[in-house]
Amino acid sequence: MSGHLNAFTENASRLGMRLQETISERTKDFGLGRGGGTTVFDTGDDKVKNIRAQLDSSSDREKLDAMKRLIAMISKGRSVSEFFAQVVKNVAVSNLEVRKLVYIYLLRYAEAEPDLALLSINTFQRDLSDSSPLIRAMALRVLSGIRVPTIGSLVVLAIKKCSSDVSPYVRKTAALAIPKCYSLDASHLPSLIEILSILLRDRSPLSIGSVAVAFEAVCPTRLDLLHPHYRRLCRVLVDVDEWGQVNLLELLVRYARNMLPRPSSTDIGDGKSKDDVDKDLDLLLSSAEPLFQSRNPAVVLSVSRAFYYLALPSEHHKIVQPMLRLLDGSREIERVALAYILFISRTSPNLFSPHYIRFTIRADDSAQVKVDKIRLLRSFVNIENYQALSREFVDYADDFDEGLAAGAVQAIGHTARVIPEAMQHCLNALLGFIKSRHDTVVTNAVLVLKSLVHTQLQAQSSFAFGASSSPLTIIERLAYRIDEIRHPQARACVVWLVGQYAADATQGDAAPVEGITPWAPDVLRKCAKSFRDETVAVKLQTITLAAKLIALSPNNRTLVLLAKYAFGLARYDRNYDVRDRARVLQMLLGGVVPSLVSKKGEDEEDALEDRGGVVLRREQVRVVLFEGKAGVAEDGEYNDDRELLGTLTLLTGHDMRGDRILPDWLEQGVMSSLRDTEDDTPAPHTVPAAIAHYARAGAAASGAASPIVVLTPAGSSGPSPAGSIPNKAAFTDLEAFYASEDEESDEDESEEEGEGSDEKVAHGTASSEDEYSDEEEDDDDESALVGGHR
Amino acid sequence: MPIDGLIVLDSTVTPVVQTAFRRFSPAYPLLHIDAYSAAAASARRVQDIDPVIYVPSFDPDEPSACCHIQHNGLTLLSPVSRDTDPLYAFAFLRTFVDILHEYFGDVTAPALKDHFDVVYQLLEETLDSGGHPLTTSPNALRDIVIPPSLLTKILSVAGVSGLSGPSTHGMGAFASPIPWRKAGVRYNSNEIYFDISETLKATVSKSGVVVDSTVLGKIDANSKLSGTPDLLLTLTNAQAMSNPSFHPCIRLNRFSQSKVLSFVPPDGHFTLMEYRYSPASAQAPPPTGTPLTAIAQNQSQVQVPFTLKAAMAVSEHGGTFDVSIASRLSARAIEDFVMELYLGEGATGASCTVGGGAEWGYIPARQVCPIGSRCYGI
Repeated sequence: MSGHLNAFTENASRLGMRLQETISERTKDFGLGRGGGTTVFDTGDDKVKNIRAQLDSSSDREKLDAMKRLIAMISKGRSVSEFFAQVVKNVAVSNLEVRKLVYIYLLRYAEAEPDLALLSINTFQRDLSDSSPLIRAMALRVLSGIRVPTIGSLVVLAIKKCSSDVSPYVRKTAALAIPKCYSLDASHLPSLIEILSILLRDRSPLSIGSVAVAFEAVCPTRLDLLHPHYRRLCRVLVDVDEWGQVNLLELLVRYARNMLPRPSSTDIGDGKSKDDVDKDLDLLLSSAEPLFQSRNPAVVLSVSRAFYYLALPSEHHKIVQPMLRLLDGSREIERVALAYILFISRTSPNLFSPHYIRFTIRADDSAQVKVDKIRLLRSFVNIENYQALSREFVDYADDFDEGLAAGAVQAIGHTARVIPEAMQHCLNALLGFIKSRHDTVVTNAVLVLKSLVHTQLQAQSSFAFGASSSPLTIIERLAYRIDEIRHPQARACVVWLVGQYAADATQGDAAPVEGITPWAPDVLRKCAKSFRDETVAVKLQTITLAAKLIALSPNNRTLVLLAKYAFGLARYDRNYDVRDRARVLQMLLGGVVPSLVSKKGEDEEDALEDRGGVVLRREQVRVVLFEGKAGVAEDGEYNDDRELLGTLTLLTGHDMRGDRILPDWLEQGVMSSLRDTEDDTPAPHTVPAAIAHYARAGAAASGAASPIVVLTPAGSSGPSPAGSIPNKAAFTDLEAFYASEDEESDEDESEEEGEGSDEKVAHGTASSEDEYSDEEEDDDDESALVGGHR
Repeated sequence: MPIDGLIVLDSTVTPVVQTAFRRFSPAYPLLHIDAYSAAAASARRVQDIDPVIYVPSFDPDEPSACCHIQHNGLTLLSPVSRDTDPLYAFAFLRTFVDILHEYFGDVTAPALKDHFDVVYQLLEETLDSGGHPLTTSPNALRDIVIPPSLLTKILSVAGVSGLSGPSTHGMGAFASPIPWRKAGVRYNSNEIYFDISETLKATVSKSGVVVDSTVLGKIDANSKLSGTPDLLLTLTNAQAMSNPSFHPCIRLNRFSQSKVLSFVPPDGHFTLMEYRYSPASAQAPPPTGTPLTAIAQNQSQVQVPFTLKAAMAVSEHGGTFDVSIASRLSARAIEDFVMELYLGEGATGASCTVGGGAEWGYIPARQVCPIGSRCYGI
């Protein structure tokens, strides 16, 4: 009978869909197709007064209408707590539609009006025994949502009742209610832990994820409770719903780090090694591995996390492909996955570097993705791929995104540093960039060149520089371009370089100024001329340059005059840093060029000389000026041990105050016998246990009690002799698990046919497989066609 | 590892739907909406808004971040805190959009406002107040929350809502032993359809050389089978599909053993699997640990079916571009070809001459110049 009714409503709703389509087509102009929703949504104030009356009316329709109005007001951000009293009265309405809306309302406002909510507690408690699991779960959710400490023990009782419910959905809700009850009143902890250990024994994979959530919230340190369940939890992992898998894996990873011995790998020669991995750890990893193929990115990441933190480094390569797959997901997922890959690459760059091609930058990537990609590519540079990568970098330097262009130029510098063979090529590229029209590119090229030249000259190893671009030639070329280099930082940089490497012994008398390269004084001249308009950084470097030059060549009159002019300007500069620096340098040079300090007509300066103190000789001054600066630090690579894969901290760069800390391994681990259970010894026994829920629910659906689940491989259709256990394979064997379901449904169907219904229902399995083979051929055709493209 | 809630914003950054945020101060959701609109205002292009925005709070111990996705002009925000993995939030947001799509077809602000009662019911059923996803399988949800249809509307207007869905659907909730499949499904003719769609993604360097190209495939299914069917799908060349991801209904172990897809499908539309096409990975997987630049490169290369040459010249107040495209296919024509040119920030217009019967336009909001043709010649 119910079957007929089902079919009828099914057909009716289909008809309804079709009707809706055609009607909405034709009535678009009238706005009829949209039905009453909009009118309800835009409730005017006059209607609001009506709501009270509607809620008190006896008609379900009126009530439904009123509830919809209330929900609409909630979604518009209006507070509707004033109606609480009227709504609570409707909690016991027989109409399910109304009741659900009432629950939604209560879930939102129970907290705000605890006293009124208390009035309805009896109804909720009655609903806990309702025949519909939906109502039972909702009642529990509202009950645990009322934040009144006095009813704490009532809630605990309700949770306890629901934790042994028939429906796994209700048990799941019970598990989720535990943290709420705990946060309300921590004194219930002992009884909550008791309930939790009952729930941990739950055989249904549906609720176990929520149990893990409750466990983490209520007693995260009581990992000892998990001992007897650990192996079963590992095995059941595949069947848990996707969100539960994330939570359960998190818990199991923490358990493994806390309770299992550290896996180790010992070299036994021949390039082979003997892995010493605890079998329970191995169980966890092998049960998690299939989940790499989950469609849910959060699950994929959780498994990667498990492998990254638990497996031996030799197993880490399994992370690579799944993580790369995440990059093909939506933009948001790509962004997050990149940040995680960047994190992994910091410790093990070789994992992802063979796949550098997957990280090439696309024009439509977001700014953040571009920055992350260039950092990644940079870390991948090695002797095999530097040519391809530096080609890419050169291309990126033309990008309109300034961050990317800057990153690309720096990456070229990095390539030159780590691959000496690439030095020549990189220098050419960098020198090319100086002619670029884009400020950022020029600036970065200058900065990178500076640090390259500096490190090379310090290391005294110019072997990599070709004849055409020895470090000094580069500085010379930069010096000649000083007018074009406008960016303050870059300009200051060039001025500094000129000063630092102005000493020139080779040219001797031929040079216009003795001991100094021919172009250095000219840079000083240009900068002194435009001193007034320069930025602070350039001003500072200009007077430093002046000081250096006269320290090198104190006898050149023009130079000294030029320096005096610069110091004079600096002395009356608006910036005190510039004034101070000028003062310091002048004093420093007192021993070399006395005329700098003692200017005629300035008593103060005369007095200074009388003041005495240490006067440095020329050689000493040179040491101070030229060798004061330490080597240029390589730009920032940081690694924070506290950062964990799969955390928000990693993405935002701010400490998010999370508590997801992974402790280091125990050296020994706890006794593995603690994890032994009676389930383990006769291994196959747990198989039916794991699917007991399905079996039970299936049995309930078919109305026949079939306590013994017969397991057969999916292929064989005949039932195997009852009682025998044909499957000795591992627990994770899914066919076995589903085969039993298959059996169930077969029974189900045959029974229904046996009931003598007239309509011929096609037999599920057989017919669908026929359909299937047709489809399969189509598939092949498809892929053949697609193949033709390539 | 919970998420804190969900906020749906329309195109004017006004909330349409939001969860209760009971554990937080009333300012909490507003703070996140503000953070989002500030980020949106400062970003040059829509895609430049960082999907994870750090949201500082008054209390230094309670920092949080705002994860958001875009869909059809709507923005779905999900505040997260306490070091929750943002992927968890994104996965949930995406799932929720898919559910809305199942229920309303086009997910738009008016559609949500029309069916706000259904949306709220969905929100309540998919997300626990503690921030943990509850029921997200569309098949199970259909039993709990009835999708809006004209029939239910007529019945409710006629005042017989008590008779329509609830009495039957309430009982059906959670009756199915398989989480992703409805119980008691019945069809007169049993059929299942599969659609394979593949996307070619390629990066081409400035000089026209293909740097990277991959083909991403997806198998969508529409199942109309009665009872609890158990299907077996054998692929002739399973090796060509590398790195697949599956709907939860597929038996993963079975696939890893024998490369066949064995599953009990959900009812209705669903995505069975996604994969990456790899012509060469069938041959011995490269030894791990060794550098395999060349191999990796060869593996991923799939030829792009057309060549593209572009020449650009930029001047002070504009520029010219000359793009030529030629098909590489000899046997078939490329159909529905659309090319988008991003002209860069500050572009105000374009004028193009296109050959081969193509059309062009200009979208000022995105500074994009789409050029399309029904059928591009061989």
